[in-house]
Amino acid sequence: MIKGWEEMTPQSADRVERHKFIDRAYHWLMATAMLILLLTAFLPILGIKFEWVGIHWVTGLVLTVIVLVHIIRACFWQNFWAMMPDGEDLRAPFAKPGKYSVAQKLYHLAISVLILAAIATGLLMWRKVDTPFWQRDPYWLSTDAWGVVYAIHGVAAMALVTMVIIHVYFALRPDEWHLTRSMLRGWITGKEYRDHHDPRRWPAKD
Amino acid sequence: MSLFRYASSIYGGGDTLIGANYGLLPWFAFAGIAFVIAHAIFKAVAAPGKPH
Repeated sequence: MIKGWEEMTPQSADRVERHKFIDRAYHWLMATAMLILLLTAFLPILGIKFEWVGIHWVTGLVLTVIVLVHIIRACFWQNFWAMMPDGEDLRAPFAKPGKYSVAQKLYHLAISVLILAAIATGLLMWRKVDTPFWQRDPYWLSTDAWGVVYAIHGVAAMALVTMVIIHVYFALRPDEWHLTRSMLRGWITGKEYRDHHDPRRWPAKD
Repeated sequence: MSLFRYASSIYGGGDTLIGANYGLLPWFAFAGIAFVIAHAIFKAVAAPGKPH
């Protein structure tokens, strides 16, 4: 948010808020949960054996809660459609974007589908794990149904490895550092705002 | 190499889907690395200095 040019202190005069603290906290919490989930899922497969199930399902539950909070926040406190490609993205995909480029919107869409698929199937698989709330019941679904659940969970998890590699690459690219900084500190400079964004499409009011 | 793993059903009637084929994990990682390399080459050669 541009805090109103007339109200700005010299220190903040050339900064545009891109991510509020709650959104940055969500991003880094989700990143931490994703890293733990991928490591606990794949290290045992790669031969590094440890008691991973408990860590995995507890972290999956944390991810489920924060994704739910994110969805509710996006629906009621943010513009839900801001992350969806719109007509202008399709007409001029290489023009200066609003807050998010068409590539960022497509990435968000893809990773949303993968994470929601992993969460939905993970919640079903939770039924096969002993927890403080219930005893495992491997016969809750048929063998064929469990196969579909495991297949979706596994393919989504492997695809998330691809997506995380791509995400980290863009975060580390020097021409994207202003976006990485904004995910750490919340703001981009006025020059970065003018250079990289179309103020008509992102008036920087929310 | 199949994306999925199958097992013979103890009840007969052919193979049963049991999950994803985790042998493909290196290929999924390679796909991400291949994208990174391709994009880096594109940005360096085809569009140097262009912000978008």
